[in-house]
Amino acid sequence: MRLTTKIVTVVTVAVAALALTGLATAKDKAPSGRELYKEYCKPCHTADSPNGEYTPMTLIQDQWTEFFTKNYERTHKNVVDPKHDNAKVLELITPDMLKKIQKFAVDHAADSEHPMTCG
Amino acid sequence: MLKRFVLAVGTLALLAMPAAAAKTYSHSKYFEHYEGTKTCLKCHMKEAKEFFHSQHYQWEGAAPQIVNSHGEKLGKRNTINDFCTNPMANWIGLVRNSRGEILTKGCSKCHAGLGKIPTAEMSREQLENIDCLICHASGYRRDLYKAEDGTLEWRPILWKNQVGLDSVSKRISLPKRAMCLRCHSGSGGGPNFKRGDLEYELADTNAQFDVHMGTDGADMQCIDCHAGQDHRVRGRGADLSGTDMPNARLRCDNDDCHGSAPHQAEILNHHTSRVYCTTCHIPDFAKKDATDMVRDWSKPFYHEAADKYSATITMGKDVIPAYAWYNGTTWEQLPKEPVTRLADGSVGMMVPQGSRKDPNARICAFKLHRGKMPVLKGKNWIIPIVVEEFFADGNIDKAVKNAAKDFYGIDDAQYEWIDTTRYMGIFHEVQPAKNALQCLDCHGPNGRLDWKALGYPGDPMLAMLKSSH
Repeated sequence: MRLTTKIVTVVTVAVAALALTGLATAKDKAPSGRELYKEYCKPCHTADSPNGEYTPMTLIQDQWTEFFTKNYERTHKNVVDPKHDNAKVLELITPDMLKKIQKFAVDHAADSEHPMTCG
Repeated sequence: MLKRFVLAVGTLALLAMPAAAAKTYSHSKYFEHYEGTKTCLKCHMKEAKEFFHSQHYQWEGAAPQIVNSHGEKLGKRNTINDFCTNPMANWIGLVRNSRGEILTKGCSKCHAGLGKIPTAEMSREQLENIDCLICHASGYRRDLYKAEDGTLEWRPILWKNQVGLDSVSKRISLPKRAMCLRCHSGSGGGPNFKRGDLEYELADTNAQFDVHMGTDGADMQCIDCHAGQDHRVRGRGADLSGTDMPNARLRCDNDDCHGSAPHQAEILNHHTSRVYCTTCHIPDFAKKDATDMVRDWSKPFYHEAADKYSATITMGKDVIPAYAWYNGTTWEQLPKEPVTRLADGSVGMMVPQGSRKDPNARICAFKLHRGKMPVLKGKNWIIPIVVEEFFADGNIDKAVKNAAKDFYGIDDAQYEWIDTTRYMGIFHEVQPAKNALQCLDCHGPNGRLDWKALGYPGDPMLAMLKSSH
């Protein structure tokens, strides 16, 4: 095998290994509630948005709980997400994802110990 | 004999500990909408007037325990400390780093007011500046916003959410640990930076960490010890300038707490006239969050991740206290007074008074904070630092000169750097009795007390043993 071929082979194997490692890591590391909020909620709820600005500390914990249990589906049934190929939000955000988003919002609500925006 | 000593030490009875009563007073029937402090004033004008004169609002007051106060009112506002130095030039403001991120919002972040500087004269405007909710509503949080006239003010973060604000503002209670600790643990720039023995952990901890505040211990609230009358607070540690209740000294051996003979072993009670409880029962502090032990303002330190400058700070964890005599009074290095140096050449910022010969003094536990501060050449006055802008640009020379101008009215101040030492009483994180210091911790060959520095020719127990043979 010529030297050039050897180098190309080694580099290709190394790149493939790194790519696989990266994929495995990404797969292992499920997104946090904060990351999900940022990805799926924030884009439509920034300051000056016609949909209203919402960060976790916009509401108190009781208001977030009421929203997710009573109002989320009703208010989002016709909403599509332009950031994700206009997919329907209710289908795009799975129950597990929604649970994480709700926990993040409640844990960092205006009356929590650590109110925050999602960055 | 020594073995008997060792066996005897370590039993502190926590007598007559008051159970914590986090009293709540729902205000749902008293008002419909919270419209700021004026809502509170409708019923609580008397309390607001009391609070207006308190340390928590004025940040200065009578200072009879400062031996060189000369009858002047002292406090954060007119003295200089070796942490963030002085709040007046750093009162309120949004300072951003080069990335546009907010670095700091000013010292008033922890003032129980809505942004205006307290005045000596009481007025309706000043009373409406009192932020009752910061101490009395557990779910209340605030942030800095620009008012219509362009000035900055602290507002509830729920100011656009009236329903949420109404809910939070009606959840009124006496201050709970978490509410006090939000300011008192965060002082000095980070968690536990300043005090060392006041950690956020105390909000919800166990008796191993603190027998008084642990939820499986006495579960006491801060106000169980510190509440005084008329919104005045008891207790001053050793390095507080102005005091709310100078005549109501807060001590462990008050009769309604532990008394002067709290131990079962007489040999231990024999110690209490000369050794304060904290010496044995707080063997170390800063047990979860490290505390600032040395702050060198002469060396700006750049934090790359935060794009922010600070002084060069040396942190300490599980710190063994320093020990000194203390009779309840303190000498303070005051502004406009030439610096006074301790035996080691450093300037004593706060120095507990007392000696072995002083019958009112006892050996107490201290955090010894060291610093490096600017001193005005010629006059030898300590200069504060305009820290807020320094956090963004790291220009310490500008920060010192601006402070000299603001504080003393001196242009282009010439200064040098001097070492400082501050004694800070350690009174929290009291350990269970089994963890208290044992005889040999002080009286052994490698004991932690420096007997000569305390005024003894040597270990007094060895002298006693020799004389008994």
